Amino acid sequence: MNLNKVLAPLFIVVSTSIIFSQKKVAIADSLVLETLDEVVVTATRTLRQLSSIPLPVTLISKKQLRQTGVVRLNEILNEQTGIITVADESGFDGVQIQGIASDYVLVLINGVPLVGRSAGNFDLSRLTVGNIQQIEVVKGPSSSLYGSEALGGVINVITETPKDSSLNGSVSYRFASFNTHDANMALRQRIKRFGYSFFANTLQSDGYDLRPDIQGQTVDPFENYTFNGQFFYDFSDNLVLFTSGRYYNQRQESSLSVEEDLFEGSSDIDEFNTHLRLDHSTGKKLHFQYEFYATRYKATEILESPITADVFSESEFDQNMLRPEIRATYSLKPKHTLITGVGFAHENLDRTFFDEQVTFNSQYAYTQYDFFPFEKLNLIIGARFDDHSEYRSQFSPKFSSHYALGPYLSLKGSVGYGFKAPDFRQLYFDFTNSAVGYTVLGYNAAIDKVRELDEQGQLTDILFDTSELGEPLRPESSVGYNLGASFKKGRLATDINFFRNDFENLIDTRIIARKTNGQNVFSYTNFNRIYTTGLEINAEYKLAKGLQISGGYQLLYAKDKEKKVALERGEIFARDPQSLQTVVLDNSDYFGLVNRSRHTANFKVFGNVPLWDLNFNLRINYRSKYGLFDGNGNGILDDFDTSFVDGYAQANVAINKTFHDDYTLQIGANNLLDYTDRENIPNLPGIQGFVKLNIQF
Amino acid sequence: MKSTCKFMFLSLVAMVFMACSDDDETPQLQAVESRTANNIPAPQTGEQGEPAGGPFTKFSFATGAVTSSETDWDIAFRGTIIAVNGGAATGTNDEPARNGNAAAFLATGTFASITSADGLSFIQDADGAFAVPTGSDNGWYNYNFMTNVVSPIPGRILMVRTFDGKYAKVEFLSYYKDAPAAPDGSVDEARYYTFNYIYNPNAGETSLE
Repeated sequence: MNLNKVLAPLFIVVSTSIIFSQKKVAIADSLVLETLDEVVVTATRTLRQLSSIPLPVTLISKKQLRQTGVVRLNEILNEQTGIITVADESGFDGVQIQGIASDYVLVLINGVPLVGRSAGNFDLSRLTVGNIQQIEVVKGPSSSLYGSEALGGVINVITETPKDSSLNGSVSYRFASFNTHDANMALRQRIKRFGYSFFANTLQSDGYDLRPDIQGQTVDPFENYTFNGQFFYDFSDNLVLFTSGRYYNQRQESSLSVEEDLFEGSSDIDEFNTHLRLDHSTGKKLHFQYEFYATRYKATEILESPITADVFSESEFDQNMLRPEIRATYSLKPKHTLITGVGFAHENLDRTFFDEQVTFNSQYAYTQYDFFPFEKLNLIIGARFDDHSEYRSQFSPKFSSHYALGPYLSLKGSVGYGFKAPDFRQLYFDFTNSAVGYTVLGYNAAIDKVRELDEQGQLTDILFDTSELGEPLRPESSVGYNLGASFKKGRLATDINFFRNDFENLIDTRIIARKTNGQNVFSYTNFNRIYTTGLEINAEYKLAKGLQISGGYQLLYAKDKEKKVALERGEIFARDPQSLQTVVLDNSDYFGLVNRSRHTANFKVFGNVPLWDLNFNLRINYRSKYGLFDGNGNGILDDFDTSFVDGYAQANVAINKTFHDDYTLQIGANNLLDYTDRENIPNLPGIQGFVKLNIQF
Repeated sequence: MKSTCKFMFLSLVAMVFMACSDDDETPQLQAVESRTANNIPAPQTGEQGEPAGGPFTKFSFATGAVTSSETDWDIAFRGTIIAVNGGAATGTNDEPARNGNAAAFLATGTFASITSADGLSFIQDADGAFAVPTGSDNGWYNYNFMTNVVSPIPGRILMVRTFDGKYAKVEFLSYYKDAPAAPDGSVDEARYYTFNYIYNPNAGETSLE
């Protein structure tokens, strides 16, 4: 692929359009804001003070990461209001925001996307928190800036940068239950124009077993390594280089027993990220960023007999992404910022159950105008256009506003469009289950494969019109609404946000043909319309000097609109568990989508005793009952289902004591109440104690 | 197909007509029978992935029991497959010969809400296709791969025309021995049908209340 060909015209277009519109205005105050506390970048792609942003944003600081003693990203996100990590039907863990599944949440590191998902789920435990400066979560659709996958929210992980001229850093070692070791080493330095940082982390664990009665462990032993090197160089005050290379490797043992035979093996993950960015200021009001990003995610799995070396299963997944992007920020006058970006993304995937390597190419452009028509009113208008090789072009607008009602109270609201491109699996999958005999085909692969099966005499019926499949599969899309208010005065800070997300064209499987063996051929199609709606409340109160309490609550309704109509018409039935007879259901019996808890809540206490150089915290997280799957065959989760998981609370504590300024000893426990549900919640082990020593230098 | 429908309709009309005209001579219609069939075994041979085999278990609504008769049976079970005694051989291993005029139709509703077999487009077994579609979610059952359980789809009522032109409606309750309320796919013994049915022993009478 010739990148120059693509980049050069893009570059010319952007630079000329910006240069022509150039006028004299004062410097953007984004740099001034940088020195203030609580500044976020993800919501607008400029540095903005958290309190002034017209969108629901959760900010997790370095301090919170350090004090709570968490080691992976999923642990800390799970403690935020309205964000939980759940295992879906496929068994893989992912994050859920405003009731929207992991498939629709974009994960970024320093503003660039991470790839590599298992059945749509992004495993956040891939990311160590060791070198994270802050984590920003923007809720609701942000496709107007970030394109595909940013429907439910965007999680942006921002790593630490060197600031001091002396060599500084830290080393830490943490020991926890299940023979779990976590070690970190960080070095960084800033010498005039030149800066660098180096970070290494390893996490190793024996895993755990919630069900000793069953062969194999619940979580098998694993070890992983993260390395991150960064290099900074200021060519001049106007030209600043940032480069980052990251490597992640994990190896997890695995075993499976099929009747008498035992198979053993491992699953391996290798992930590479290369990120180059050049910040270029021309004059005081025009600022360019030239960015190049490449990433690779490779996962392999093998299971074989240790005795005969017979391979039971072997699979490979190799995804690459290459993404150059140019952004221009233009400050018309103070606090009036225009951002324009253009980019190109090349993605390819080679995996088991695909006929051949498949490729996606897309071009995109976005623009956003952030301004204050009046002193108290901030408006942001933005849109992005994505042109893709495999699906319909997408136009994603977004509008948001913030209004300061007075010194303490402010209102904010936003409406935005979000979309998720059909993924490689939904387009190109070709899989036949060898034990049961059903077949799953990707949308683009379906016509040819069905014809092939038909010619082989494997089909009894074809249930679709082949002309239907001529139309490309549509991206899943949503329109998200957020309306909130925040109040901050003295010791109290509180906010409330109502949200609604209407999804269309959700992609799901349907039966497209019947096979002679009585099984079905499935393929993907657009059909579902769902919504998630509810409200979120957060409150923080300073009880006394050095003692702060906070609480959060989310109410959530997540339902399928089609099912609601069917229920209204009396077309959905269930079996009464006593009489075993059919009864008609109505909407009052409908629980909603799987894996959604109606209520989630958290309560936290953070205390600080400066006299003793000691701080402590207690965090309690609760989620109410939820259903795992439709267990009674009527296609919905209803009151007659038996697949519900009881609500539960998890309490985590940590105490930190600092000696001689630089030595911090931490002890704590996660899941202090020792809650387990070994059948339904395999990702929740019992109580886990830990002790950690951190040395700052 | 259309002509058979027309023919069926005509014959139905004729039968109804006849039934009416008979009214003066024959005293009363026989009462509709409402019963439950428990643990009708439906064994099959052949492992998963291999072609299934073994004889079908034949059932007669008139006797309310399993029968070994080659001719006087209405529906037959093997595993999750249901055959009717009408139409042509499907080409399945070890299937029984069809020599009656039985047919089936899958209706949607509760057992009580469906009160008549009148006006339904009954179909018979045919080459390559059973009247009751096979496979999960196609016919009468759903197979949940998470729990490994076969459960009758709630709201599916199997309407049956018997081999000798009488009508019945069937609600499947369970596919497991002794019809446990929440079957365990790894413990409970499968391939035992339990179902409620209402049978109208008067030929041509479609009322099933």
